[in-house]
Amino acid sequence: MHEFNWGLLIVVYLFLGGLSAGLFFAAGLANYLTVDDKPVYARVARMGALLAPWPVAIGSGLLILDLGNWYRFYKLFLHFRWQSPMSIGSWLLTVFTLIAFLYLFAWLKEDERKWIFSKIPATWKQVHRLNVDISSWREKIAMVGFPFSIGVGIYTGVLLGAVSARPFWNTNLVAQMFLFSALSSGAAALLLAMILDRKNPIEKHETKFLVTLDVVFISLELFIILPYIIHGQLSSQAVKDALTLILGGPYTVVFWVFFLFLGLLVPLAIEVYELFPSIFKGREFHGSRNMALTAAGLVLFGGFLLRYIFVYAGQMSSFHRMGMLQ
Amino acid sequence: MAIKKKRYALVIDSRKCINCKACVVACKAENKVPVGNFRNRINEERKGEYPKLSINFEPEQCHHCTDPSCVRVCPTGASWQRKDGIVLVNYDECIGCRYCMIACPYDARYFNEEEGVVDKCTFCSHRVDKGDIPACVETCPSKVRVFGDLEDPTNRIHELLSTRRYRVKEPQTGNGPQLYYLL
Ligand code: SF4
Ligand code: SF4
Repeated sequence: MHEFNWGLLIVVYLFLGGLSAGLFFAAGLANYLTVDDKPVYARVARMGALLAPWPVAIGSGLLILDLGNWYRFYKLFLHFRWQSPMSIGSWLLTVFTLIAFLYLFAWLKEDERKWIFSKIPATWKQVHRLNVDISSWREKIAMVGFPFSIGVGIYTGVLLGAVSARPFWNTNLVAQMFLFSALSSGAAALLLAMILDRKNPIEKHETKFLVTLDVVFISLELFIILPYIIHGQLSSQAVKDALTLILGGPYTVVFWVFFLFLGLLVPLAIEVYELFPSIFKGREFHGSRNMALTAAGLVLFGGFLLRYIFVYAGQMSSFHRMGMLQ
Repeated sequence: MAIKKKRYALVIDSRKCINCKACVVACKAENKVPVGNFRNRINEERKGEYPKLSINFEPEQCHHCTDPSCVRVCPTGASWQRKDGIVLVNYDECIGCRYCMIACPYDARYFNEEEGVVDKCTFCSHRVDKGDIPACVETCPSKVRVFGDLEDPTNRIHELLSTRRYRVKEPQTGNGPQLYYLL
């Protein structure tokens, strides 16, 4: 059996990194959509801002624990190697995480901010000087953060796609696939969080916004996955061989049934079904809570599976006649 | 006087290989390779059914590629290439991310669990620097392996590569592998 050098922790890391990128993107976007100069999705923006930094922070922690010598992780930041996606990615992820935390800070309510600072010893004067209201910076932070969130979403794919030795990964579509999947997971996670937050029940226009966003991202993702398969079939033998991993090989069922059908097509169908009457028949958007919950849950499940399939199947693919290696 | 450029490579006459694995053992002893890990291996390829049967043995190890993808992806610069072409790991810089193992098309690297770092064939650089040849080359009883400097026209491998037909494995990886298999 081929041995896997990267395991579940890497899958989780790529998923959480993408999730944060998607959350930030959706939150930033929500911040920009205004009607008569009033933000209509301010609550979406706030929820996204509060959630965005955590997944990537946890994911990076997991990645560090996965290293053979975790205490040497600082060496990642002593070098900048532009040819190594991991080197670029470490810097990118760090900057993005800082921006995401700053954005969170900008969305804290006055009393929340005061409460946090009340926990910090009064003698730490320098820290207390940070207790300022930066809510007017929200738009600026979101704007600066957009390219970084896209960058992080792309990076999770490039980390795999740039490995020339693994034909399953080494196509220029993997980066976009991971990006759109990340953006869609972000929108779905936000929807899930807003629905589950019973204290501030989600409003119809908010559900509609997030569902629409997710439909767009899922569709984009779908139209990257189809070309990925078609392109691969028309590519060199090594790529064709690699694709057999999902076309008859060990990852066929997870890919087609669990990822593509359950994790992508079913939520897409649910969301389109929900939106259809309000868009084409001029009726009011109802937004069933259970439907939205199911769709959002499935999207997250699918997003995780996509990383799972790629991390594992990709490591099995190679230029050798596959399986010959003991 | 200008310092002469060197480019080390290994020529392998795999048809002479009898799968005795003396090279594997010699390498393990020379480089104190941990139990369960190997820096070189013998690939076996079987064709046909008895009595019309053939088995090919093909020794393989790190190809010390001209354009090594392992070095390219390493985020810390721990994987590096010497001017003479030998690709090495600087163990103090390696964080154990294993990206290089995934990026090596020849699966030539292993993870040293105890040290938490990646390791692989060094062409016995410690011996080569003293003017010796790698342990696997010295040991091989059927003289399958010939080690030398491609830049030196008087070297034996120069003669072999000019007069014999050979192949490299999976040149389409773009890595420029430097193990030459005689046909
Ligand atoms: S064979 Fe693999 S480990 Fe050796 S130099 Fe080439 S890419 Fe690096
Ligand atoms: S495992 Fe070590 S040598 Fe390999 S890429 Fe990571 S830091 Fe570099």
